[in-house]
This record gives sequence, C-alpha cells and structure tokens, in this order.
Amino acid sequence: MTTEAAGFKQIAVEDFRITDEPYYLPIQDEVELFEMAYERRIPVLLKGPTGAGKTRFVEYMSWRLHNKGSRSHEEGVPLITVACHEDLTASDLVGRYLLEGDETRWIDGPISRAAKVGAICYLDEIVEARKDTTVLIHPLTDYRRLLPVEKRGELLEAADGFILVMSYNPGYQSALKDLKHSTRQRFIAIEFGYPPRDQEAEIVQIESGVDAATAQDLAKLAEKVRNLKEHGLGEGVSTRLLVYAGKLIAGGIAPRRACQVAVVWALTDDGEVQRSIEEVVTSIFDE
Amino acid sequence: MTLLSDLSTRYGPELRGFGASLPDDFSAALAALEPQLGAEELDRWARDGVALANHSLRSWEAAAEYFRASPEIVGRLGADGLHEWADTAMRLAASSSLMAAAFLKATPDALAVLNTEDMEAWAGQGERLCRGNWKSIALAALYFQVSPSLLRSLPLPSVGRLVDVVDQLTERSYELANTCLEGSPAIFAGLSEDDREPFLRFARAVTRASWADTRLYFDRGPRLLEHVAAEQRAAFLDLSARVTTEVGRQGFPLFADAADALAQMPEEDHRDLLGFASRLAPGSPTSAMEYLKSAPFMRTRLNEQQMEQWQDVGLDILLAERNPEGAEAYFRLESTRAEETMRALSSRVELASISTMLRMYAKALSGEPVSVLSAEDLVEQNIGWVTESSATTEGSAIYLPPFVATFEEQDANFQVYKVFTTHQTARIEFGSFRYRWDRDGAFAPSSMAGREAAAHERRTASQERERGEAITSIQRFFNCFDDRTLISGLFTIVEDTRIDSHVAREYGGIRRWLHRLQEWEAERRPRVEEMALRQAFVENLLRESLRRPDTIRWPVVFREYLSQGLAALKIVEQEGATVQDSAEVAASLYDIATAIPNIITPLADGKHEWDGPTEEMLSLQPGMPSGADGPEMQPSDQEMQFENPPQPEFRGDFKPELVQLLARLKNQVEGGEDGAMAPLTKEQLMEMLENSVELSIAEWAEGDLDQSLGMFLENMEQAAQQAPGDKKPDDAKGGAEQDGGKGDGGEGELPVEIEWSYYDEWDFRAGDYRPRWTRVGERYGKEEDSDFYEETLRRYHGLVMETRKQFEMMRPEAFKKIKRLEDGEELDLDLAIEFTIDKKAGIGPSGRVYNRRNKLERDVAVAFLLDMSASTDEEIEKQRVKHEAGDDEDDNFDGDPRRYFQWLAARRAKAMVEPPKRIIDLEKESTVLIVEALEAIGDSYGIYGFSGYGRENVEFHVIKDLKEQKDDRVLKRIGSIEPIRSTRMGPAIRHTIHKLDEYDAKVKILILVSDGRPQDHGYGRDRTEKEYAVHDTKQALNEAKRLGITPFLITVDKEGHDYLKQMCDDIGYEVVDDIESLPRRLPTLYRHLAAD
Repeated sequence: MTTEAAGFKQIAVEDFRITDEPYYLPIQDEVELFEMAYERRIPVLLKGPTGAGKTRFVEYMSWRLHNKGSRSHEEGVPLITVACHEDLTASDLVGRYLLEGDETRWIDGPISRAAKVGAICYLDEIVEARKDTTVLIHPLTDYRRLLPVEKRGELLEAADGFILVMSYNPGYQSALKDLKHSTRQRFIAIEFGYPPRDQEAEIVQIESGVDAATAQDLAKLAEKVRNLKEHGLGEGVSTRLLVYAGKLIAGGIAPRRACQVAVVWALTDDGEVQRSIEEVVTSIFDE
Repeated sequence: MTLLSDLSTRYGPELRGFGASLPDDFSAALAALEPQLGAEELDRWARDGVALANHSLRSWEAAAEYFRASPEIVGRLGADGLHEWADTAMRLAASSSLMAAAFLKATPDALAVLNTEDMEAWAGQGERLCRGNWKSIALAALYFQVSPSLLRSLPLPSVGRLVDVVDQLTERSYELANTCLEGSPAIFAGLSEDDREPFLRFARAVTRASWADTRLYFDRGPRLLEHVAAEQRAAFLDLSARVTTEVGRQGFPLFADAADALAQMPEEDHRDLLGFASRLAPGSPTSAMEYLKSAPFMRTRLNEQQMEQWQDVGLDILLAERNPEGAEAYFRLESTRAEETMRALSSRVELASISTMLRMYAKALSGEPVSVLSAEDLVEQNIGWVTESSATTEGSAIYLPPFVATFEEQDANFQVYKVFTTHQTARIEFGSFRYRWDRDGAFAPSSMAGREAAAHERRTASQERERGEAITSIQRFFNCFDDRTLISGLFTIVEDTRIDSHVAREYGGIRRWLHRLQEWEAERRPRVEEMALRQAFVENLLRESLRRPDTIRWPVVFREYLSQGLAALKIVEQEGATVQDSAEVAASLYDIATAIPNIITPLADGKHEWDGPTEEMLSLQPGMPSGADGPEMQPSDQEMQFENPPQPEFRGDFKPELVQLLARLKNQVEGGEDGAMAPLTKEQLMEMLENSVELSIAEWAEGDLDQSLGMFLENMEQAAQQAPGDKKPDDAKGGAEQDGGKGDGGEGELPVEIEWSYYDEWDFRAGDYRPRWTRVGERYGKEEDSDFYEETLRRYHGLVMETRKQFEMMRPEAFKKIKRLEDGEELDLDLAIEFTIDKKAGIGPSGRVYNRRNKLERDVAVAFLLDMSASTDEEIEKQRVKHEAGDDEDDNFDGDPRRYFQWLAARRAKAMVEPPKRIIDLEKESTVLIVEALEAIGDSYGIYGFSGYGRENVEFHVIKDLKEQKDDRVLKRIGSIEPIRSTRMGPAIRHTIHKLDEYDAKVKILILVSDGRPQDHGYGRDRTEKEYAVHDTKQALNEAKRLGITPFLITVDKEGHDYLKQMCDDIGYEVVDDIESLPRRLPTLYRHLAAD
C-alpha cells in the first residue's frame, strides 16, 4: 500500500524494497556468507561498532538478493527494519489490539508482517531491547520458523523468504546490555570492523564526493582517532562520520572546521579528549 | 710666684689621693691652658676640676678626662664655655661619674662635628639613656663613646632618634641595645646620606613591632640594601617602615624577603617595582611586599607589558573590589586567579597544563600506549639521558621539556610542543628503533655483512681488541665503524631527515610549523666556515636536512664530496624509506666523511675558496655515492678530534642504542617473544655502555667508573621492569603520581603504595582558591583480621537482622505496572469496559485504557568518609564525664581512700574484660552495620577514612572503594581503622567527590562521620583560628552539591551545632547526642537520605 502525496511518500513497511543499488564496498567475504545464510535460512547477527556499515550492508544484501532474481524471489526481498530501544515490548513487535469505535482491532507488529510477507526482518541494535522481549523471537529463528501470537491464540508460520537479521554493537558491552546466550547462539555472526585505510578512503571518496587526497587524509584521521579507543574514547570515529565530514568539505567547508563538527564534537564531550583529537586534525589538515 | 705654681700649690694637694696620674694630668693641662686663659678663668677651671674629682667616689676619673680634654677644646669653647661644659659634666656625674667621664673624653672629637651650642642637647641625649643601674650607665657611656663617629654620618636630631630606638630596646634587653648602638657608626657610615634617615625610621618601626628583629635588621639590613638600586633604597625603606607599622612582627621578614627578591631583579626595574608596591601599600601593606617577593618569579613567566597587566588585575582586586585579603593571596601567588591570569598572559607554555592532551595526541598518532612525561623524570632515572630541556623518547614514553618559551606568542610555543611530540612520536610510528641487522632497505640494499668483515680485518691488522658480540642490532651496526661519534652523528642526521620527511608528508597540518622550526634552527647554526672540514661536511648535511641547502658553504675544490653526500641524504626523503635505508645512507656518508681530513682550512689561500651551493647541488636526484672521486686528500698532522655539530632542538635527543638495549632488557624481564636469546651478562652490558657514544661517561663520578656503570645498569634494569602503564603522568584534574615501591600487588609487607592527588583549598578571606594547595595521599587500609567484623555482627545480632530487613524492603520490585496510559502493551479490561459504558452513556470517556509494565532500577552510590583523627581515640566514658561533669561518684568516696581504690580496681577489672569503647570503635561498628544494610539493598558504596597532618600530607585510607566488591579484604580493612592525626576535611571531601564524580550512578550521596570540627596544622591563619577550616569545608561541601552529590554530615560532637550550622547552611547534618546510638542511627539516617 503506497500513498503518494505532495512532498512525501508513505509506504506500508512490508512493501519497502530497495530498488537502486546502494553503494557497498565488500571488505571480506561477508557478501558470500550472507547469501549462503539466506539460502539456508540461517539467521544472521551483524556485530560491529556504530557507523561501520552494518545497516548499509543489510540494505545492499536486500537489493542484491532482489536483483539477482535469486530463485524463488522474483519480486525481491522486502526489508523491514526495527530500531530497538529500551521500551520496546513484545506487543510492539508482534502486534496489539487497539480500540476502534466500539470494538477492538488487531494490528500486526513489524515482525508479524515480515513473517507474513517473507521479508528480511532487521532488528537494529538488538541489545537495546529488553531481554524479555528478545526471547519472543526464539521460535522464529530455529527450524520451527514460528511466531506465537499469544493474544490471539495463534501461531504464525513464517513465509519462505523470511529471515531474521540483528545488529549489535559489542562496544557498549556491560553486564546490563549483553545478549542472552540463548539468543545469540541462534545466529551466525559476521563481524564488521572499520575498513582498512585505503578502502575506507575509497568509501569516503565515493560517498561524499571529496577528492582522493582529502579522502585519504580523512581515513588517516580515522585511523589515528581510533587509536584512542579505550584511552579516552568509548568508540572510534565511524565511517559514517567521515562521510559527513567529506560531504561538508566537498561542499566548501574548510577541512579543519568540517572535521571539528563532524568528528571531534560528534565523538565526545570531554574537553581534554576533544582538544587532543583537534590537535590530530590540525596536524593532518592544513587549513 | 707664678700663676701656675700658685694654682698648683693651691689645688695640687687636693688632687692627691685619687688616681696616681691625676696631679700630672692637672699640671699638664694647666700648662697648656695658661696662655689662653686669664688668671680668674684659670682658677675657675681648676676649681671645677677639683670639684669634679671630689664629687663622688670615682669621679676623679671624670676629672682626669676633664683635665686631658680641656686643652683641646678651650679654643672652641672659650673660658665660659669650659665652665658650662664642666657644669654639664657635674650634672652627669650626679647620675654616674662613668658617664661623665665618657662625655668628657668624647667631647673633643664630638666638637669636631658638632656646634658648641648643640653640646648641651648632645649630652642630654646621653643622659636620657642613663637610668641609674649599671647597664644603663654602660650604655650611656657607649653613647658618648660612639657619638663622635656617629655624628659624622648623622645630624644630632637623627642621633636623637637613634637614641629613641636604643632606649626602647632597653626595655627588653640592654645587651641588644648595646650591640645595636655599637654597630651604628659603621652602619650609618656605610649608608648614603639620603638613606640614613629612612633607615632610622624603619629601625624605629621594627623595634616597635618586634624588638628582637632590631638586631637582625642592624646586622643584615645594610647588606640587604646593597642590592637595591641606590636611588631606590630610601623609598624601599620608607615602604618597609610603613608596612611594618601596619603588619607588626611580620614586617622585618617581609622586608628581608623583598630585598632578596629585588636583588634578583635588574636594578633599572626597581623604580617601577617599588612604585607599584607603594600604590598597593595604603590598601594592603602586606600585598606590597608580597608583590615584590613574587616579582622575580613572575618575570620568568611574563615580559614587562604582561607583568604590568598581571599586576593591574591584582590592584583591581584591592581597589575596585576592596578585597585586601584577596590581593594579598593574589600577589603571594596563592590564588587561582593569580595563576590563571598569569597563564593567560604568559607566552610560555607549561608541559603540566597540556601533558594529558599531548599524551592522547601521541597515542592517537602512534597507536601505542605511550605516555608523555617531563624530561626531568627521565634524567632522574639516570639511564643515560641527561638534558632536561630537550625532547626525547626511550621507546615507550615521550619526554618533553617542562616548558617552552621559544616564541613570543603562546600559540607558537604550543605548536613547538606539538612539533616536539610529533617528531618523537614519529620515531615510534615510523620505526626509528626497529633497526634490524643486515636487512635491506626499500632503496638501499644492505652492505653490512661486508662492512663487518672489513672492520674485523682492520682490527685484527691493528691488533686491536676484538669487540664482544653485540647485544642489539644497532650496536652491531655501530660496531662496524671505527669512529663511533661520527657514525652516530651521521645516523642521527639521516634518520631525523627521514622522520621529518615522513611527518611532513603524512601530517600536512603540522608541516607549516615543522618548517618554521627548521627555519628557526637554520638561522641559528654555528658558522660553518670556522669548522674543521669533516665537521663542516656534517654541518652542511644538517643544513640540507633542515631544508636550507641555500645556507650551505663548502670549499669549491671538494664539491664532489658534498654533492654525493647530499644525493645520498635525499634517498631517505623518499616515501617508503625505512630505518634500514637510513643506516645504509649513514654508512655511505661515513665513507665520504672519513675521506675528508678534519682540518681547519685557511680561508684565504685561494685554493680552498668556500662557496655556496651550485645550481646542480640544489637539484640533485637521490642516489648512493659512487665512490669518492674528488681530489685526493692527504692525511694531515693537523687533524683535529672530530665533534658533531649541535643538533637542532626540535629533534631532541636520539639514542637508538640505549632504546634498543632497554627494549632488550624489557624483553628479558617479561620473557618476551625472543625468549630464546640468552640473558645478558654484565660484561656484555659493560662493554656496550663503555663503547656507546650515547652516554657521556665523563660526567659521571670520576674514578669509580665501575661503580657508576653498575649503578647505571641497575637503573636501566629498573626502568625495563616498569610496565608502560606504570608511567602514569599527571591526571587531568587532581594529578596523581606513584609513590613507594613497584611490585604488582604482591602479597606481604610491600611498602604501601600511595597515589597522590592535588586539590585547591578555599581561602575565604581572599575569596579565591589556593591552587594545588593540598596533597592527598590515597592508600589502601591495612588488612588486619576480620574478627572485628564478625564480632560486631555477633554483638549486634538483633540490630543487624532488623536493619537488613528494613533495607530489603526498600529494594524495588523488578517491574511495576503502570495503569491508565493512552498507549501501552495491553488493554486493561476493566478500563475498556468503563470506556465503552461511558461512551454509550454519553459521558466523555477517558482514553487511558492501556497498561504497561515498567522496570524500576535503583541506582544509588554512597561514599562514607570516616574521621580518623586522633580525637576519635577518646574513650566515650571519659567524654561523657567531661560533658556531665559534676554529678559523679567522687563524692561517694567521702575522702576514704580505700573506697576509692576499691572503685578504681573494679573499674580496671571491668576494663580488662571489656576494653573501654572509643569513638572510633563506634564508627567502625556503625560501618559494619551499614555494610550489611547496603549489601541488602544493593546500592554501590565506598568507605574511606581520612586524617593526616598539614596540607602536604592528607591521608586518605580506602577501606572499600566504590568499584570494589565486598570481600574478605574489605572486612579486614575495617578492623584496621585507627585514629591517626588531624582533621583536614576539605581535601578529603574533595577527593571523595572526585571518586563519586567518576562513578556512574543516578543518585550520589556523601556521608561524613566525624567527632568534631575540622582542624589541622596550617588549616587557618594560626592555631586558634577556626573560621578558615570551617569555610573551606563548607566550600568543599558546596562543590559536592554542584556536582549533583548530596552531602550529609553526622557528628558525635555535642558542641557541633554551632559550627555545623555555619558550615552546612542548607546541607543536611545531624548531631548524634547519644554517641552509643551511632550504629543504630547511621542506617536509619541513610534510609531517609536515600529513600528516593
């Protein structure tokens, strides 16, 4: 169901498909791994720091599986993304009753919809969700491929193309925010690190439209800043931020300033650390 | 009969019976006077003399002086004058003949500088000193004795003022008065005329303020003044007098310190300094002197204009803000504002203020856990680095000079630091220390095997002792060359060139400053034309490496050598060059350099004309030398010892041999990757160090080289054992340094490890913080045994159970259902029905029909701070007696000693069975209870104790850190809490705040348990002052509140209300009246505090 109006487009979640090829530069064998997992219906866990390209990878795979006309999915694989958060409850995922007029009406949650249409269901930042919520997906991930809809007393069998993909950032690891073993052992895990300098430079160059030398410098900066992880920084600078910086530079903002707003200030609020990174920036960029 | 014989006969007999010489004196004087006086007059004179002699027991001595002096002064005084003089003497003799004698004796000399009409006044001043006792008489006599010379430098009225001073001193000590008076003539003679009066005025002020200092002033004053600009001395003395009148006994010490300070300043500045000081003096005399005292230090940081700006801020505090105490602290440099103003104005950059930042910067660049430390630290380690002022690295840490003041602007100096750091980091990043024996470079293949063989052959041929096996690769490399100074110098230049090129290529932003420093260095090179040839060759390479080939100067005939050298150097400027390339290039440069004799060439012989670089030289392509084919150079007997030209400052010290050795030692300690390598023998080490040019052995203790080397090796090994993490530099906020032994938390009696932090202290008078005023030493409490803990649990069994239960009830349930929401997980059936009914009935229905379960979390962190001051040692019984004095059993003894002793014995017996409880015991027991309670509720908690003595040594004992879990060690530490010394609360609170602030929790509470007011040595203006401590503590508590920490005070001091009211304002506190209820009270209080 698609509604088009002036200025915006409204699509039902299950209808969302990626039609244009998203830019993605494979770093290792992750593309083949994912394809194989999809073929065998093995759920996938994407591990890695923020901004390393997990979401982009899922989008790319969704497009790729669609466009390759991969066997039974001539129509392509829809992608349903759920951003997980602390207050995400089971009903948010599965569905709930709403009052409408004098009666109640059942609304499917995103996971139910994905199961019905056979989509890639992408649970972004799964650790943020409450542990009692994550248990809910267990039956969907193994051979049963079932989603119990408790409130309606039903079982929903997932359509053929359905697969669960979750992402997770081990960087925040703390006792509170960790995946239960019963959950994590239902997925194969693909690790996403930051790309090596040259590849990262390529990504930044293509994504932001900045020249090759600047892209190299940005990648160099990223490498240096990431050295500070655990020594003042909780997380290294993401490729995404580099792309932002690149876009600003390509748009005519002075590199130092662009890095200040897109890298330094975005990374930390600690004055001392800010200053250190700023000095790295001024060492690398001339103006 | 002549008049003479007549008078002799008349008075002669009367003079007999006194001293033997008296008649002779008389006769001699008579003879001398006769021509000048008439008969009448002469007779009167003689009568006066006789009267004087007869006046009292020893007045004949005065008479003798009278006779002796008369001939000398008769010309000045005339006959009538003589008579008056005699009258005065008679009057003095009435008080003391000794004084009269002194007066008479001194008269001739005094009259040389005194008007005759002033004589009476002069005598009167002496008379004033005489009080009848012998000490005063001696003093008065001394007065007359010294006054002739004194009067030569001081006019009579001034002498009068001096007498005032001396007179005042006599009230305290005649001896002191004597000494001062005795020294005066010399002192005043030494002073210039204009300074004498001011000196005297200040003397008067000092004597009034603190009599004992007068001697010091008379002793040291003139010498102190010597270094003050001559025309400013009077002003300085007047200022000092003024200050002393105001501040009293501090006056002289201030004067002395200020004079010392002035001595360190150039004389032409004294005028301005004193001018400004006198502007301060009316509002705050102390400030004026403190200003002078601080001036030399300030001048090391600020230039003249900056200094003016700095002092104007202080003047503003005094005049505009009307805060003399603040100004005083400002000029004493004990205020945060003073420091901040200075830092803002000064162009000098201190390492301390940027080291944390630079550490992270270096870490980012190198990707290694490097630390940034002051070069002073490295020098202290005594492992071969000796210059505190240059940057360097020993492979795991970067050492920087403590400050940089190269340029006029602050930012520029900061950039200098950055270039320093970048260069040293780059050595780590680009592998200056990763030289491996005989590996090919990216551009130059290794020639080392051949060179080693050749060197071996050379040594065999010359029957030189073969060198032992090298310990490190770089040592083996150096071993291939006979002149280690030369090869080491060349390797340094080549490697630094490579590093600079890498930096300039990789870090486009720092390039500009790197070049500016290269430029700066290039302009300060020594004159190359004056160097011996080989040294000049090296110097020219260095100039090329500083990117200033245009400054090259070199004999025309030897051009080819230099061209080849320059081309070789260019090899390492290429991208991808490694340290192996540097080594090869250095080796080939060595070949060229050794072909050049190290002789001074005569400039003017035409043949050796020096020239700048040729076009060709400026556009050379990188290339290894093809073998020198310049003109043959004959070895000369004028060959000089080769010395390397000075290294540019920004590149710092480069000691690859030592660094590799350290790394090797470290490996040995850690049994690292190269575990297969045999451990080093002492002989190996010795040989290496003796040969290395990176050590200047000459600077070591002469003679005992063996011992020095041994000690050095020990230091080296110690440095190797240090894990990189140990070299923690200053922390951002407080700053921490390691103390005590190393050793990684081993068992047993290791020295206590103390981590120091520094905190400001609030000076309420100045209304400003005293920067880094207190030093808090954090250490873990001793672990005794956990008996105390268990014993307390047993004793308070009931209370423990009760408290635990109460606390468990506070524990939140895991989930809480929230009803009546507009949106939620599920519909509430009842509400939904109600909604439908309402709607049907036409009543506006409430849409809030959903439920939701929310998770509740309790997130509280609490720190308990226990007072471990000596006063907590007091037994409670005694304290009670103190408070309830009067009511006691004493009366019951009815003066019967037997009953008293019975009572005493009973009490002692009781005490044996159950030792009397002290306040600290109750604090400990309360701790046990609260630990139990907190474990039940699950809040994070820390328990700390504090005490100490003085601002430099605030002891902070960790019983249980916030981050620690409750374990056996914690319980043991509780047992060890003991009373120690004083109670400096402020720093202890600040340190606790620091801990809480770093801890992640929503609710933070600080509970301070004490037994009295804060007090410590120097915690206030003097011993009795209480205000200062109270204000500082209050300020510390406010700081806690500002950081979102809830402070609470509990005291068992019954008189606590008065100061707590002042200290706590709106901060919660409680005075626990019944001390013994503390263990019960503490958990209850906590429950209320942390209830929500």
